[in-house]
Amino acid sequence: MSVKYTPVQWNRNKWLYDGVMLAGVGAFLWIFLYVTPEVLSHERAVNPQIHNARAFGACAFVMLTVILCIGPAARLDPRFLPLLYNRRHFGVMTAFVALTHASYILNWYFNFSSSDKYVALLYANSSFGQVAGFPFELFGIFALVCLLILATTSHDFWLKFLTPPVWKRLHYLIYAAYFSVVAHVSLGILQDQRNQVFTIIFISGAAAVIVLHLAAWWAERGRSIAAKDGAWVEVARPSEMTEGRARIARLTNGDRVAVFLMEGKLSAISNACAHQNGPLGEGRIIDCLVTCPWHGFQYDVRTGRSPAPFTEMVPTYRIRIHNGMIEVHPDANPPGTPVTPVPLPAAQRSKEGALA
Amino acid sequence: MDVAQAILVVIQAWGIFGALTAAVFLTVGIERVDEDAQGAYVFRPLLIPGVMLIWPLVLWRWWRIESQRAGWAERYKPVRGAHGAAALLMSLGIIAIIVTGLSVRQEWPGDTAPVQLSDGASQ
Repeated sequence: MSVKYTPVQWNRNKWLYDGVMLAGVGAFLWIFLYVTPEVLSHERAVNPQIHNARAFGACAFVMLTVILCIGPAARLDPRFLPLLYNRRHFGVMTAFVALTHASYILNWYFNFSSSDKYVALLYANSSFGQVAGFPFELFGIFALVCLLILATTSHDFWLKFLTPPVWKRLHYLIYAAYFSVVAHVSLGILQDQRNQVFTIIFISGAAAVIVLHLAAWWAERGRSIAAKDGAWVEVARPSEMTEGRARIARLTNGDRVAVFLMEGKLSAISNACAHQNGPLGEGRIIDCLVTCPWHGFQYDVRTGRSPAPFTEMVPTYRIRIHNGMIEVHPDANPPGTPVTPVPLPAAQRSKEGALA
Repeated sequence: MDVAQAILVVIQAWGIFGALTAAVFLTVGIERVDEDAQGAYVFRPLLIPGVMLIWPLVLWRWWRIESQRAGWAERYKPVRGAHGAAALLMSLGIIAIIVTGLSVRQEWPGDTAPVQLSDGASQ
């Protein structure tokens, strides 16, 4: 959470996350280079440069696959949320690994011609009219540029400056990057494989990304739109509320509102965290503050404000109980506007929601 | 000048404009658009590569904020709705390109035992 920007906001969990990630990268490279040459059909690599290029390229593909699996996995099962917590460091490391792969390629295959190596990279293969032999390098270059954009705009400053929706749209480049990496591999090294283990691993990774994304998308579609009753929209019955938790409703304008029950009273705030638009309604209330399950940003559900000295704010909503239904007015209040919580009649609380 | 060299010239020009934008934005602009950046200097070099890569977007946002065209509500419009289309397009693209790659592969399935097509010289 912001007060004044620092290069990296380290904490114990991030050190642990990064330590495990670095150990994983090191283990992958070691296994690829020294343990599995026969399994992965690269026991006769021409020289160390090519061997290293393949190792870093394979590592970047695996890292990108894992990164793309984390998001939908966390949406489908909250137990994966800890992996989401510091995913940006994972992405930055992936960009460095991909850059290392590109450096090995550039400084071996294109470094000894009479022309500039970057020019050589662009004109060495111009077989655009055929699939077999298509200049697959271009897919790799595009993916690398995407990864560099994502890595260099990962600091929290960019989220606040660009706004989370613009930042998210920019970071949708990850999908184009992954497709390009798959194309880079499919029309590149896959054409040269005589051992099917590599092919199976590659296709399995891509299939995992596809299945998880489509499953998360399908699950998201199931969320109902809140029923409309005049200007107000119905969210839930009082008996459906649980103390310290929220019900999330999608309004007719597409926005999502999170209605919380705290100490027997109802409050409604935007479901979109001011940081990365994480789902606040899936967070738990501790000491009057809801904690975003993605990165731990906290807000007072009565005001939509982060506790001092932090300055983040989210919109709040007016709320009422009408004809036995909890209703929210769809017009959001400006971020940080206090709204008096609405008491939930004791007789209408669920057993779980009953106060001690 | 051939196409490859022209592309590199465009990339170099992009980088020069990006560097100029970074120099102005990170010394003058950043404190005007974000109060959390006031007095914070150590993190600014980290932003240089990003500004160089997306400088048109930086200038656009800077202009939006300076001219007070940026409404508070636009910050709270998650783009989850586009996720489904993005995931679907990526999935279809991946399937298509893998099938294409496998279909043009010279050795498929790999390690197929050689088959003698004719009796040849032994006949």
